Amino acid sequence: MKFFNKEITFTPERKLLYKKRTVSIIINAVRYFFLLALSYVVLFQLFFMISQALRPRTDLLNPSVVWIPTKLTFENFKGAFEKLEYLKTGFVSIWLMEVSAFIEVMVCAVIAYGFARFEFKEKNLVFFLVLVTIIVPTQMLIIPMYLNYAHFDILGVFKWFSDITGLPDFRPELLNTGLTFWLPSLFGVGVRSGLFIFIYRKFFEGLPRELEEAAYVDGAGPLRTFISVILPSSGVVFLTVTIFSTIWHWNESYMSDMYNKLNPPLAVKLDYVRNELQKDSRSTAMAACLLFVLPMLVMYMILQRKFVQSIDRVGIVG
Amino acid sequence: MKRGLKDFTRKKQMYGRMFILPWEIGFILFFLQPLVQSLVFVFSKVNVDFENGVFLTEWNGIENIRYFLYEDTQYVDYLVESLTSFVLNIPLIVSLSLIVGVLLNQKFKGRVMFRSIFFLPVIIATGVVMTYLTGDATAESMRGGTGAGNGIDISGILMSMNLTSNITSKVIGFVNQIFDLFWDCGVQIVLFISGLQSIPEQLYEVCRVEGANKWEEFWYVTFPMLSGTTLLVIVFTAIEIFTDSNNSVMTYGFNAMRQNMWWQGPTILWIYFALVGVILGLAVLIIQKKIFAKWAQ
Repeated sequence: MKFFNKEITFTPERKLLYKKRTVSIIINAVRYFFLLALSYVVLFQLFFMISQALRPRTDLLNPSVVWIPTKLTFENFKGAFEKLEYLKTGFVSIWLMEVSAFIEVMVCAVIAYGFARFEFKEKNLVFFLVLVTIIVPTQMLIIPMYLNYAHFDILGVFKWFSDITGLPDFRPELLNTGLTFWLPSLFGVGVRSGLFIFIYRKFFEGLPRELEEAAYVDGAGPLRTFISVILPSSGVVFLTVTIFSTIWHWNESYMSDMYNKLNPPLAVKLDYVRNELQKDSRSTAMAACLLFVLPMLVMYMILQRKFVQSIDRVGIVG
Repeated sequence: MKRGLKDFTRKKQMYGRMFILPWEIGFILFFLQPLVQSLVFVFSKVNVDFENGVFLTEWNGIENIRYFLYEDTQYVDYLVESLTSFVLNIPLIVSLSLIVGVLLNQKFKGRVMFRSIFFLPVIIATGVVMTYLTGDATAESMRGGTGAGNGIDISGILMSMNLTSNITSKVIGFVNQIFDLFWDCGVQIVLFISGLQSIPEQLYEVCRVEGANKWEEFWYVTFPMLSGTTLLVIVFTAIEIFTDSNNSVMTYGFNAMRQNMWWQGPTILWIYFALVGVILGLAVLIIQKKIFAKWAQ
């Protein structure tokens, strides 16, 4: 057979090789087509936001402008920046939410270590309860928590105490303070803490025990062993949990809408000003959305490569 | 010597309890107490003296539930709508994430890039931002596809096939949904990838030695080994859908809470949660018994 003026003989091996090659080309084509199509779904919205946010107002009514604005402008960002009170609400988001995320990342690790390494009778029962906290949505707890935060009490003890002693009511109001988020995080029942305990536990269980035993023999206590032996070898899982916790805290809007109305974080503020912004123009609204996701995007871009690799190694689920 | 060992075990038990003690306290204060409280609200008339932080609950039987199921004009509609989308979406989301997870787990050029892109929905697709993005007519038409304007005119094709508009709109809704559903897959894909990574490589080697093809490899190794992950993903997806801000029951309940309607909010959510719990429990049971048990033999 002639092929590009070259005589080609089809030996059986060659046939097999060609067949293999064709199959792999087809598989690759299908794979890339599928993945690119899905990437388009994701990236479209991002590019849409960027393209809309950067165009001047006149372009919104100009049908010839689809993706690329006639000229770039940052006017919309300025407008959105002011409407969102970006610096103020952004600070609240960091102070309220990200501090809580940090506490959560640390505390959940300590608790998960208890589940991973020590044996005691009620362990399985308690861990079952951890799973229950994952399944029950926080929205169901909001109203009682709200009432409780308005006059903070520990199972009614404070109220009872002031009732029998005749002292004035000393239940503190925690609404609109950071404690609404820090307290649950401190006890390992914050935003999706159950899931994080689950992830940490799986990871710690996979670590070799020899180093810890050596530390015990050298007379280190359990907490010290945890800090000096476990922490240094758990960078991967800490990275994963930190990224999830940071993002979920940043995006949290149900609870902060109830507990922190006076001093809303960015996510809640974005919801409050929605009508106002959308009436103003689509560009301003999109600019506001971009301003909202920007810190998380930047963080993700910095940590992205490490994060993608760490997914391979964490082994969240056994 | 023996006594020393016994002491050591007892000590370790104590250490363990110490580690999880904070969680137990937090569980009672910030989970169990409010949960029981909200359940009590469902069965009570609630009067709140907000200034003094006292609320009086008076036993009201199933009156609250009856009110929402029989008298409220919107609730049952919302409930049906949410539950249907719940039942339809979970299998779609789980299988879509499984496919993408398997694809991204293979070695090929640009894998890292795709993985980073597919995580983006977790950052962008938050309740608030999605309310800005969905329903924007310009965005729909620019995306092409089924919107007005350019793109493939699916509805036109269907119309020319003499289908009733009822079916047409269902098909269009479905096509639109597939794309939107991908927005909910971010975390699930991550879960599947890490589950895939924990399958021991030896199993695949055995497959190759035995001469199994890729398809058989998937059905006899990958899929059964992922059963734990799949259950986790199903549960996680269920919670995501449950708490999604596009969920009409959720919005209804949350708006009630915002207006300090003390018993309405919890009742709306508890009925929904109970129903979802039953459906989910059944699904998990069936999956464990019928599907995964097959491979366990």
